[in-house]
Amino acid sequence: MSQDGKTRTIEEINQKIKKGDAQVLTAEEMKKLVESSSVEVAFKEVDVVTTGTFGAMCSSGALVNLGHSDPPIKIDRAWINDVEVCHPGAAVDLFIGATNMSEKHNYDYGGGHVISDLVAGKEVELRATGVGTDCYPRTSVKTTITKDDLNQFMLLNFRNCYQRYNCAVNSSDEVIYTYMSKLLPRLRNATYSGAGELNPLMNDPNYETIGLGTRIFLGGGQGYVIGEGTQHSPKSLNGTLMVKGDAKQMSPEFLQGASFTKYGTSMYVGLGIPIPMLNIGLAKKTAIRDSEILTDIVDYSAPRRDRPKFGQVSYRDLKSGSITINGKKVRVSSLSSLKMAKKVSSTLKEWIEEGTFTLTAPIERLPTNTVCRAMRQTEEIPFVVSVMHPAVTCTEDEDIRAIATRIVTKSVNHIVVIDEAGKLKGIVTSWDITRAMAEGKKALADIETHNVFTAKPDEPLEVASKRLAQHNISALPVIDIERKVLGIITSEDVAKLLGRRN
Amino acid sequence: MGRILIRFSEEQVSEPIASQIIIEYKVPMAILSAHINNKGGEILVEVPDTMQEQVVEAFRKRGVTTMVPKLIEVDSEKCFSCGTCIALCPVEAIKTDKDHTVQFDKEKCLGSTCSICVDACPARAIKSVKANGNENRDKKS
Ligand code: SF4
Ligand code: SF4
Repeated sequence: MSQDGKTRTIEEINQKIKKGDAQVLTAEEMKKLVESSSVEVAFKEVDVVTTGTFGAMCSSGALVNLGHSDPPIKIDRAWINDVEVCHPGAAVDLFIGATNMSEKHNYDYGGGHVISDLVAGKEVELRATGVGTDCYPRTSVKTTITKDDLNQFMLLNFRNCYQRYNCAVNSSDEVIYTYMSKLLPRLRNATYSGAGELNPLMNDPNYETIGLGTRIFLGGGQGYVIGEGTQHSPKSLNGTLMVKGDAKQMSPEFLQGASFTKYGTSMYVGLGIPIPMLNIGLAKKTAIRDSEILTDIVDYSAPRRDRPKFGQVSYRDLKSGSITINGKKVRVSSLSSLKMAKKVSSTLKEWIEEGTFTLTAPIERLPTNTVCRAMRQTEEIPFVVSVMHPAVTCTEDEDIRAIATRIVTKSVNHIVVIDEAGKLKGIVTSWDITRAMAEGKKALADIETHNVFTAKPDEPLEVASKRLAQHNISALPVIDIERKVLGIITSEDVAKLLGRRN
Repeated sequence: MGRILIRFSEEQVSEPIASQIIIEYKVPMAILSAHINNKGGEILVEVPDTMQEQVVEAFRKRGVTTMVPKLIEVDSEKCFSCGTCIALCPVEAIKTDKDHTVQFDKEKCLGSTCSICVDACPARAIKSVKANGNENRDKKS
């Protein structure tokens, strides 16, 4: 510590680490210390605070160099264990993207699993094809390899360690499968991700000590921050990191392939950052608690970029196992592992105490003023509201004959059944009516369908069109949140609009 | 307590078979889950261990298909305790212990009649296992 006791330098801390007397606490221990004593005491006593997170980080991958075959090949397409890998550069450099899915096992095996298997020392099968050139005559190759056969096996993750993330729910009537996992209908569960108060970026939210060149715990080995991650959005507390590290030194415990049914594959990455206690301000920041970290509850059933929100919750609420949405108790659980996040921070602490890990100062800090913009779209896409038209309706007490007449005079195929308040009760088709007349049935209740598939006005037309095809039906009543009927769309409307565009 | 999965056909569903057996054998029967309509279906019941065989026999005599349901098995090597499965479970059979390790309560779990958690596990650590030891991943959700 400096003479006045107000600052420390990284060099001073590294000296202590080498001598074996650096004081290291995990973020969890630091918070307790600050609460039981004071920020001043904690700053005086502690040199480094270790953080950690372990969650699905889709924008991850590994760069491998295979070495040249004889005769040599310039790879055009390649697969490892039936997962297609990319060939972003010269002849035998490949990038294994965590989200590429196996052609045989799709959701059950992907790039993340390939990386994890290689890290574990397993043998994997490589297949590649090339076009054949004068300098690279070979056109195909098939072999098995392990990580020891690779010249380079570098983990290169372009977006990791989200500072915090949304809490996800589903207000629709059907189960949906998302990157936030399986969401049960009508808000029957909620999911969230992130370690909250243990997250590395949350403990240094102005990135005073984090940037290009910061040495970190990555996948069970040592790695480096190489800049801000894609979509880094510090102004909204959604910072991200780009990181690299030698995957040959990593451990499959902290790099695990993951499967999200009906979504895709990914990779769980363990990442931890040591925060040096350079000044009292940093000590104060590492005392942040889950109750101070808020996130939005987002309805993932809306197939739009800007999804409706149900307010905010804190990570303390999320970690408690249940949250309240519109007065209703909803059980919530995490996608990322708190157990493993703690293991990351405690392993990093051990390394520093043992003297096998020293700190580095960033050469360039992460930007603090960037925002993540939406895509520029040059083509408008149609929504349900653009083709919806008024529905021909009836009420349940009407006579079938009257309805039959309406079908003829209005020349429609679908009549939407509503109650006095205009809310959806069911649907009848001209076919239902014809059959009822033939069979001599009189009551609407005998023929109406109550289990109606519907559309919302702000849904993309393509999504509604998929629903029509999936359930083999020809119309969807359009309803609002209170199930009031706003109109109807038919497969003819959809075909007219989507067809014209193609 | 022993569990029995009882499958009724369309013809059987309108007959009071379960009530007859309850009365005849004086067996307390708890219904854990039921997916049933006039086309038939399944109910999962719990009966005292000592009566399980007798009850299975009684249903079979009446031509009803009975099965001892498959269990859910968690591969603790693969499970990284993310917790995704916890809030999905309808009977709160999944909990975390003090060090945040995820634990399944096999007594509470409904087994293959539920299986909601199976396809949600990112580590593919949850499988349904037949009582006779044949493994088979249950894709049903
Ligand atoms: S979802 Fe799978 S990996 Fe996650 S806690 Fe449950 S069993 Fe374990
Ligand atoms: S199978 Fe169903 S009851 Fe059993 S643990 Fe999974 S979700 Fe719970």
